[in-house]
Amino acid sequence: MALSAVLVAFLLLPTLVLLARGLSADFLPTLLSPVVVDALRVSVWTSGLSLLLTVLLGTPTAWLLSRRRFPGHALLETLLDLPITLPPVVAGVALLLTFGQSGVLGRPLELAGISLAFSPAAVVLALLFTSAPYYIRTARAGFSAYDPDIEAAARVDGAGGAGVFWRVTLPLTSPFLLEGLVLAWARSLGEFGATILFAGSLQGQTRTISLAIYSALESDLRPALVLSAIMVAFAFMLLLLLRVLTAGRRGG
Amino acid sequence: MRSAFTLFALCLGAACLSSAHAAPLTIFAASSLTDAFTEIGQKFDAQTGNKTVFQFAGSQALRTQLEQGAGADVFASANAAQYDPLVKAGRAATGQTFARNRLTVIAPKSSTAVKTLADLARPGVRLVLADKAVPVGSASRTAFDLITKAGTYGADFSKRVLANVVSEEPNVRQVALKIQLGQGDAAIVYVSDVTPALKKDVRTIGLPSRFNPLVSYPIGTLAASKNPAAARAFVAYVLSAEGQRVLNKWGFIRAK
Repeated sequence: MALSAVLVAFLLLPTLVLLARGLSADFLPTLLSPVVVDALRVSVWTSGLSLLLTVLLGTPTAWLLSRRRFPGHALLETLLDLPITLPPVVAGVALLLTFGQSGVLGRPLELAGISLAFSPAAVVLALLFTSAPYYIRTARAGFSAYDPDIEAAARVDGAGGAGVFWRVTLPLTSPFLLEGLVLAWARSLGEFGATILFAGSLQGQTRTISLAIYSALESDLRPALVLSAIMVAFAFMLLLLLRVLTAGRRGG
Repeated sequence: MRSAFTLFALCLGAACLSSAHAAPLTIFAASSLTDAFTEIGQKFDAQTGNKTVFQFAGSQALRTQLEQGAGADVFASANAAQYDPLVKAGRAATGQTFARNRLTVIAPKSSTAVKTLADLARPGVRLVLADKAVPVGSASRTAFDLITKAGTYGADFSKRVLANVVSEEPNVRQVALKIQLGQGDAAIVYVSDVTPALKKDVRTIGLPSRFNPLVSYPIGTLAASKNPAAARAFVAYVLSAEGQRVLNKWGFIRAK
């Protein structure tokens, strides 16, 4: 009892202290300062774009992985999960060596006039690399959670491939897909190591919320505290959303 | 409740155990000192029997940590701006200059985008700098101002160069790393950062001394030190002929 109280206090106290410091008197002027506004803008844009790519490319990938069996299927599934357990800074090194200015693919891309180095696009790639596996994993579980015969039955009743997906598959799996999206979004907003290594850090371009907090800590503490408080509030909101989604899943 | 006390006692016991050993001497040092201080630390330990551990980071980051109460014995900063506030706050002894340094432009051997100083201002060049708060980042901006004032490359040199900045890194070694990996067309680091390991991958473009601010590194003991005698001994060693020789070997300019 007392032991759990110690742990609970340990887990809650730092967050509460952070909220108290972050939501202090000059919250609003700091919130509207360029450092904070730029960081929020960069993060919303890059994580939004990364999320869009995750859904567009991740959904068919997860569907194929849950429906088709082929040699090396288990190995591929495991490898796609790798960025989840990989330290983010390692992901950054890997991206740099592959897509960097003198990387394996980066050099041909440069010659073709596509420059990723230090661009917001590099941030999106870093976020996609580190967060998409969360979505694929959850979506895969969703597609495997119900009986494929339901799809077959719909087809027998005359529905086409696209119709089956939109009217049958998607409604059945949407709680899973949304949960995967929330997890991927949370992961990409917290991304630090891969981004700073691969995309660098420039205010208004590549400096996301996490990078801005790190950078502000070294000069003016206030933007760091305000951004941190925003992240706490946002993280809490995502958790609530997750609870609602998983409850809906159990109910359905 | 009793189990909580037991846990508390265990933690205390663990803390006592670790401090009962020969307490390590903790040195906070600017990133640019990484190689020189690692060697100085080994020599100092061999001579005195101390166990020196280092934390290398941007001086501004170390200063923030010290202001937040980080426990260390000695602070070696890459400029006075990140050191003197600690003296004012009563956290550090007055700094003694132990090394000087100058800036240089580096570019990856794999890229030919930057060959002269004038190229730094050419549109489309990707320039990596340290953040303004980092000593080398502040010195780099001073250098651009000096060049601009001289008028050699036009009155808007500084403005055009700063428009080419693609990343503001947290310390000088991160700046050097980007160029070493071929990411970015040029960067500004200290002369001492062009170590043998870096030389393999980068070209240097010299910065004439009239544009090149001479930066001074202060060192001093910290008020929070639990081992002030050893801390003073380390500072003395850095200032000694042997310490100066090692610093000089790694590309620093002697303090005296």
